[in-house]
Amino acid sequence: MRGPNAIDFWRGFALITIFVNHIPGNTFERWTYSQYGISDAAELFVFLAGWSIGIATTDREGRPESALTSILRLMSRTVEVYRAQVIIMVLALAMIAGTALLLDNPLILEWHNAGGFFADPIQSMVGLVLLTYQLGYFNILPLYVVLIAVAPVFVLMSRVSRAGALFLSFCLYAASLIFEWNFPSWPGDGDWFFNPFCWQLLLMLGYCLQGWSRERPRFRVWCFRAMPLGIVIVVVGIVLSVYEIRPDPLMVPEPRLIFTFDKTYLSPARLIHFCGVLLAFQAVYRWVTPWIGPIARFLAGLGRNSLAVFSMGSLISLGAQFVRFQYGGGIFVDVSVVGFGLFALGFTAWFVEWRSRKPKKAAVAPAVS
Amino acid sequence: MAFPQAKEGGRRTCRVVGAAALGLCLTVSAASALAEGAATVVSPPHPPASATGAAPLEGVDLSLSPECRVPGSKLYTLARLAAVKHALKEKRPVRVLSVGSSSSGLGASASYPVRLENALERSLPNVDVQIDSRGLSGEVASGAGDRLRTIVADVEPDLVVWQVGTNDALARVDADAFADALKDTVEWIKSHHIDVVLIDPLFTQSVADDESYNGLVHKVQDVAVAQGVPLVRRYEAMRFLSASADKGTETHMLGRHFRLNDLGLRCMAEHVTRAITLSLLQPDLAAAPTTEPQPKKAEPEKPAGQ
Repeated sequence: MRGPNAIDFWRGFALITIFVNHIPGNTFERWTYSQYGISDAAELFVFLAGWSIGIATTDREGRPESALTSILRLMSRTVEVYRAQVIIMVLALAMIAGTALLLDNPLILEWHNAGGFFADPIQSMVGLVLLTYQLGYFNILPLYVVLIAVAPVFVLMSRVSRAGALFLSFCLYAASLIFEWNFPSWPGDGDWFFNPFCWQLLLMLGYCLQGWSRERPRFRVWCFRAMPLGIVIVVVGIVLSVYEIRPDPLMVPEPRLIFTFDKTYLSPARLIHFCGVLLAFQAVYRWVTPWIGPIARFLAGLGRNSLAVFSMGSLISLGAQFVRFQYGGGIFVDVSVVGFGLFALGFTAWFVEWRSRKPKKAAVAPAVS
Repeated sequence: MAFPQAKEGGRRTCRVVGAAALGLCLTVSAASALAEGAATVVSPPHPPASATGAAPLEGVDLSLSPECRVPGSKLYTLARLAAVKHALKEKRPVRVLSVGSSSSGLGASASYPVRLENALERSLPNVDVQIDSRGLSGEVASGAGDRLRTIVADVEPDLVVWQVGTNDALARVDADAFADALKDTVEWIKSHHIDVVLIDPLFTQSVADDESYNGLVHKVQDVAVAQGVPLVRRYEAMRFLSASADKGTETHMLGRHFRLNDLGLRCMAEHVTRAITLSLLQPDLAAAPTTEPQPKKAEPEKPAGQ
């Protein structure tokens, strides 16, 4: 188990933000940083995933591990994430169906695209395992599966030239924006909520920045000097969100996605804002940890076990929505569900680490799935 | 958007021969010949046309298929649809964007968008209706309104048929925050000379006495009235239907009202079509900048077959 560090800390922070934002209408929603900027925790989460790939595929001295090891490592991670997505989707559908039965209320079955499953289980079941059928709020992991599955290509390319790989990644991003490429949803209409063609850039950015910041001290210095620029961008983001100023998608020139604040396509405004956030907050972890020791340890604990915590968080926030539906909103219910959620997420992180520590002998031979 | 096949899937264009249609047939302008044809082919118990014409605001609307019959006053509130009229006048296809949270897109042939398209083409003979159907996840009060703007910009329809509010009602979002966000979005759509038809949340027995749920349904009505857009009162319609269905003997292993999907989807397309066609007959106040003064149409409520 690694000690607290900035990556895990911010990942834990993103996980909690996502958890709170996935209980729509709750009191704490307006206190998450997503309400005060153009980009939100999803960007942070994907970026940090890329950063972690950078760490995972090099050794302590920063030497890249063998290509085959990297491929296998990323494949095994893909399998883990895929498994998590299928399991939480099935559990979520069971929670929805169970709640509908318990409350004798078929409306519950319409919850965030679940109606499709119960109306047409035959196609939806296939869509579920193909990841093309996604419940609302259960759409980040499918993106993550695709990104990690193709990550080996980028990782190996970047061993030849990091800038070249980033450039290719950017070209794919730009082309998707212009030609509106996306993965289709099926069954049902429309496309993926998180477009992998666009969001791959963020993963790649995380991966490349990790490499540069490790190898090039001058790069770090320049990032530090650019902090005021980041702060300006963050302030602009706050003003735009608080006053709800955003471009009118019917008024902007073609190709429109370049000028809107669209989340699905990770529009440039979101990307720029996120880079501003990175610059503005790059040193915050170092400054605040001495003051918020226990909180930093808690968040880093969540971040270390992000997949399990994210999965539990998704299910708990769904449960919290049901509680809010049954008992209504209000500060008491919100404090209870969010408080319980935070405790449960912390427990999940602890439990995962306890489990991996406990059976010492089994740990030598990892499960075969 | 998306891959080619997805595009094809979302944008079906089918033509229905008007005369083969049900008694649903409602003329828009000079289609009386066709309408007469329809009146003779009429399905089930379709009374003399004069009754149909008088029906909309009083008693059960007999132009709907039997299992979907609801009093007109319970079913919709009407308002002008300038952009659709304009498209009809230019004799170009009417592009309709259907958005909503429910299972509107599934089950290929019998799904709601297909039904809606068929019903509309039946009611508007010689008009090509192109439906683009998109899911809209999430709450209007937390960003779904913004996503809808992006979708509208992508599709650029003449008419948006929006099933709104169920997600917000289930999430118990603040009713005023919901109404504000809804108002903003509807205003925005209208500002681009695109018509909107709102469909209010679903009904089921267990929310009949739910104050906050009903409060949200009322908010949708308030916004529709204030913004002057047609509203399909699905909540009331479903309540009416479920009350009358109770007399029947139909059962389901989970109880009668566990058949929400079925009931909602079967009748919604008809109800929406009825609201749209009747709204098209609303007198034109020349207020719409896109519409040139039209040759006065005969009395708007004039029955189809006469």
